[in-house]
Amino acid sequence: MISPFEAALFVFVLVAAVATALLRDILAVIVIAGAYSLGMALFYAFLLAPDVAMTEAAIGAGVTTLLLLLTIARTARTDHTQLLERPNVPAVFVCGAFLVVLLVTITEFPVVGDPGIAWDNPAITQYYLEHAPKDTGVENAVTAVLAGYRGFDTFGEATVVFLAGMAALLVLKREVFTNE
Amino acid sequence: MSDADSERTVSAYVESQIIMTTVRLVAPFSLTYGLFLTFHGADSAGGGFQGGAIAGATVLMIAFAFGIEPTREWLRNRTVVLLASGGVAAFAAVGLIPVVYGDNFLGFPVFKKAFGIKAKWGLEAVEILGVAPIVTGIVIGLFFVIAAGLGTEAPDQEVTTDD
Repeated sequence: MISPFEAALFVFVLVAAVATALLRDILAVIVIAGAYSLGMALFYAFLLAPDVAMTEAAIGAGVTTLLLLLTIARTARTDHTQLLERPNVPAVFVCGAFLVVLLVTITEFPVVGDPGIAWDNPAITQYYLEHAPKDTGVENAVTAVLAGYRGFDTFGEATVVFLAGMAALLVLKREVFTNE
Repeated sequence: MSDADSERTVSAYVESQIIMTTVRLVAPFSLTYGLFLTFHGADSAGGGFQGGAIAGATVLMIAFAFGIEPTREWLRNRTVVLLASGGVAAFAAVGLIPVVYGDNFLGFPVFKKAFGIKAKWGLEAVEILGVAPIVTGIVIGLFFVIAAGLGTEAPDQEVTTDD
């Protein structure tokens, strides 16, 4: 049901996620967060979602890591003689409660690839898989949905990306990105 | 590793032959791959967002290898702004074309009746002219503006007295 490679990847992602929460040295945390993103990108590729995998690898592992490195380059690094961060008890409690809720719901999830599951509903998913090439003339169903069926939503998302850049300019009190 | 040492290695640019040579070799391929994903996203995995991000990341790679300041000098602000805001304008403009022909905003199927071309061209236009330039421009822009830090830190900036 789950291949050894997937199991190893799962353990890797889990260990990386826990390490980002526990380690004290922020540089180490950023590097591990990048590795975590790369592991997740592989996961998405295994779950046959190459579009999401590419986005995660490029944005999550690449660009975000670079931006975080740039940010800590401009801050003073705190003393990190201790290896681990001292856990914040209320935060541990909240995260633990959230984890319990997630674990309860996860048992209700159907097995990946199980044929009678909700998102295998032919009335919805098969409709797009069958009609997308005819309706839009586009072979990639993901692109057909993103730019075709819900193009207005994508317009909003693209504008949000644009606004992220504007917000960075505003917060950092600059008028130009590079040079005049 | 002491604090002073680690701080220096993080903030200062280190000229490395290995990194520069690697980036010189990889950059043409990653830029081509980004463009391929953008232009071929309709028929295989990928699309404007992925392609635009990889194309933008190529510039980030060059900046990391050859120094952020020299790259900043080379890259005009108007190029970055044109990519980002031009993308939003192009997306809206392409979306408005069907409105002119009596359909909804982004209603590309009307292209068949109006111009005799497939709806696919509307989707392609939105991905290639809209999403990809926005993502490329903003990825590059965020990198350089975060690298520069707060405007109040730079003595040559004159826009810092407004608060």
